[in-house]
Amino acid sequence: MSNKRPTDDRSAIILAGGRSSRMGQAKALLPFAGEPLIAHIVRSLKELFADVVVVVAPDQEIPALPVTLVRDEVAYQGPVSGIYHGLKAAKSDVSFVGSCDVPFLNRTLISYLCSQIRDHDVVVPYWEGRYQPLFAIYKKSVMPYLHAQLQRGELRPIFLFDKVRTRKIDEEEIRRFDPDGLSFLNMNTPEDYEAALQRWRQLHRTNTTEDQSIVCTVELFGVARLRAKTKAVTLELPRNADLVKVFFALADRLPTLVGSVIAPDRESLVAGQACNVNGRDFIRDSTTKIHSGDRIFIVSADAGG
Amino acid sequence: MYGFHGRFLHVDLSTGRSSWRELEESRLQNFLGGIGLGTSLLYEFAPAGVEPLSAANPLIFTSAPLVGTGLTTTAKYAVVTKSPLTNFIADSLSSSFFALELKRVGTDALVITGRASSPVYLFIEEEKAELRSADNLWHKSASETETLIRAQNEDPAIRVAAIGLAGENCVRFATISNEGRHAGRGGVGAVMGSKNLKAIALRGHAQVPVADPRGVAAIAASLRERSLGTLTAKYREIGTVANLAVFNQLGALPTRNFQQATFDHAEAVSGESLTENNFSRKQGCASCTIRCERLFKSLSGDEQRLEYETLFALGPLCGVHDPEIVLQAARLCDHYGIDTISTGGTLAWAMECAEKGLLPEAAEHGLRFGQGEALLQMISLIAERSDLGAVLAEGSRRAAALTGDEAAYWAMHVKGLEMPGYEPRSLKTMALGLAVSPRGACHNRSGAYEADFSGAVDRLRGDAGRGALVKGSEDFNATLDSLIVCKFLRKCFRDFYSESAELVERVTGWRYSDADLRQTGERISTLKKLFNIREGWQPADDWLPMRLLSEPIRDGVAQGVELSADELREMIESYYRVRDWNENGFIPESKLRQLGLEV
Repeated sequence: MSNKRPTDDRSAIILAGGRSSRMGQAKALLPFAGEPLIAHIVRSLKELFADVVVVVAPDQEIPALPVTLVRDEVAYQGPVSGIYHGLKAAKSDVSFVGSCDVPFLNRTLISYLCSQIRDHDVVVPYWEGRYQPLFAIYKKSVMPYLHAQLQRGELRPIFLFDKVRTRKIDEEEIRRFDPDGLSFLNMNTPEDYEAALQRWRQLHRTNTTEDQSIVCTVELFGVARLRAKTKAVTLELPRNADLVKVFFALADRLPTLVGSVIAPDRESLVAGQACNVNGRDFIRDSTTKIHSGDRIFIVSADAGG
Repeated sequence: MYGFHGRFLHVDLSTGRSSWRELEESRLQNFLGGIGLGTSLLYEFAPAGVEPLSAANPLIFTSAPLVGTGLTTTAKYAVVTKSPLTNFIADSLSSSFFALELKRVGTDALVITGRASSPVYLFIEEEKAELRSADNLWHKSASETETLIRAQNEDPAIRVAAIGLAGENCVRFATISNEGRHAGRGGVGAVMGSKNLKAIALRGHAQVPVADPRGVAAIAASLRERSLGTLTAKYREIGTVANLAVFNQLGALPTRNFQQATFDHAEAVSGESLTENNFSRKQGCASCTIRCERLFKSLSGDEQRLEYETLFALGPLCGVHDPEIVLQAARLCDHYGIDTISTGGTLAWAMECAEKGLLPEAAEHGLRFGQGEALLQMISLIAERSDLGAVLAEGSRRAAALTGDEAAYWAMHVKGLEMPGYEPRSLKTMALGLAVSPRGACHNRSGAYEADFSGAVDRLRGDAGRGALVKGSEDFNATLDSLIVCKFLRKCFRDFYSESAELVERVTGWRYSDADLRQTGERISTLKKLFNIREGWQPADDWLPMRLLSEPIRDGVAQGVELSADELREMIESYYRVRDWNENGFIPESKLRQLGLEV
């Protein structure tokens, strides 16, 4: 942990307005280390930067955070638009740009990247054969170039790098601070998320009960989705959990489902709702064990129509 | 007599004469009303081997004992005839106020034979039936026809069932429509059109007493309450469109003419997305507490009713992911009066043939998977029977035969009726239900999919236990369709057969046990098959399209799952066995005697 005071001559920008389509739920709100992922990332960056900007899509739900919130004018236009609007809102000339799906922020690496900006407009790591534009440093001087890219419809940030003064940080340099490249470990699917949670526990092994937990995703359909106003939730459950535990945890997370989807005892579904595990089997026995990574579908029991 | 009028009206369109005929109580006890009574009348009035679009093919409308009793979901009627798509039985249901009015004109059925020399509509008021000129109604849509007939007679209470342009042109999957609902499958509208009969208009005041009004009212109150619980929440809160996203996750959503079992763009046309983005309002049939109908608004502001089958057939099956196109296509189908499942199935066949170079005319029209504008254009051509539409109006089986041998492989039908939105390779009980249904590929005459969705069987692997499940489901549905009770109420019964038998007793005054009702269901199912056998059914007719037996599922959770011919054969044999039919699916005399069906 850094003992330094956060700097106010650099800003941090977090892009949180992506679709999260493969994850099935908003990545920014995934529980991580006991808080929504976005809060976890903001807290971590606040130790380095006094000014943190979060760019979200119009109407996107986001918890209250000590940040400047920017709503991208056009949803899901991609990272170039997000970087552009973030830089516009940032208080400093130089900003670190990250995304909301990278939980393992290596602050030493970020500090090193910041230190390399000097006469450059961009400092960007190059890891495993790819630029990492969403873990990079940008100056406001690139804004006209980004704007022009948006006009042309060039939505990938890498088009910028040969137009401005770019400092490429190669793998060898990166490994000095982050040997495994954890900084670039982003999460796109429920499986990625589960792997990240497991890794977090390995790195912060303090509690054996938590270490033995499993993670599953509950996907909601029909009545359940309309009532809950969400497509999916990720639940962390004790190892050896069965469906009863799933329903209980789901009721806890989405109380609105109790009575209409989950029975009042919270241990089963109401008549008319059914449960399918991984798209394969419909499960009638609530004591069926759930495994880590399982996808549990809550659907209408009646397929007629 | 309680619950029935005990008579039916026979109208001969060729002579213009109509006559009242008695319905024997024993026939009503054996077949109840709805599809049971309709099948019995069809067997009697259709000359063996009758050509479906000929004057001799009877078009039969039936009412049922529960209609008009105030029981929720029972405002229904059946249309039964010989199908111009399958050449076997066509039995279709529709509902709402026309059904109530049919009973009020004092008849349990209409049997319509012959052919009028020019377009007419049949007007029945009280005892009197009259044929009136339909010259000014011809080429109008069903809903325009309803409005015009009411206006011409200055009576807004008249109820009308009519055909649209497609029925007039004998499109083989034309519907009969009332109040925006359709007797949809099997081409009953084509039969009506072939008779030059544009519409049936009804106005009546006849009442049918029930034997035990208090008893009926008590059951009605209880069922009404049960119909509002969690068991019907799907239908009340989102409608049948809810199926799409679930089926997609299960690898059970037929896509691009059954090339895939999942749709990449399922989310865009899911019931949940439509509800969020396009929902306009809900409505229901007369006498219904469930109110499952959903109207969705398109960008133009027009409202369109949409059900899962329509959504699947005009969406994923044709590779279309734009809800606007699906809504427009559904509107056109309703306007012209054509079955959306057969329309989607036939167009999906044409799209695949176009892409494979087998149907250059379709390619010229731009008909390819996902091409919405071409799909919309082709629906109109089908209804008009013009250009390539004249071929597609014949349905996928005949269109494939006209195109050439190879094209038949891509025609996804059973007995000539296009497949509904249930992937048989990943729903093996349903595979059997679809193969053996007397109506052809139908999801309503057996609810075999229920077993697949129950967790009680392995839905990806068929076995000899499925015959009993399909028989049970067919007989159950035959009973529902003859009482008539809507299928969306089916799970609200505590014990369906005993509760329904009690209902029959209280309505009709007959002694009627649950065993009687079970046998009635079996009798009706068997008579449908007996009719088909008389019309030339052969064992090869109980089979599935070759594609399903040759290609494994290639995507989604059921990737790699196959349906082998042996697997299907084993299930079919188990079905014949449990029905006490011989190994080739013919019905032995002893079985006919047991059910009182001796010819």
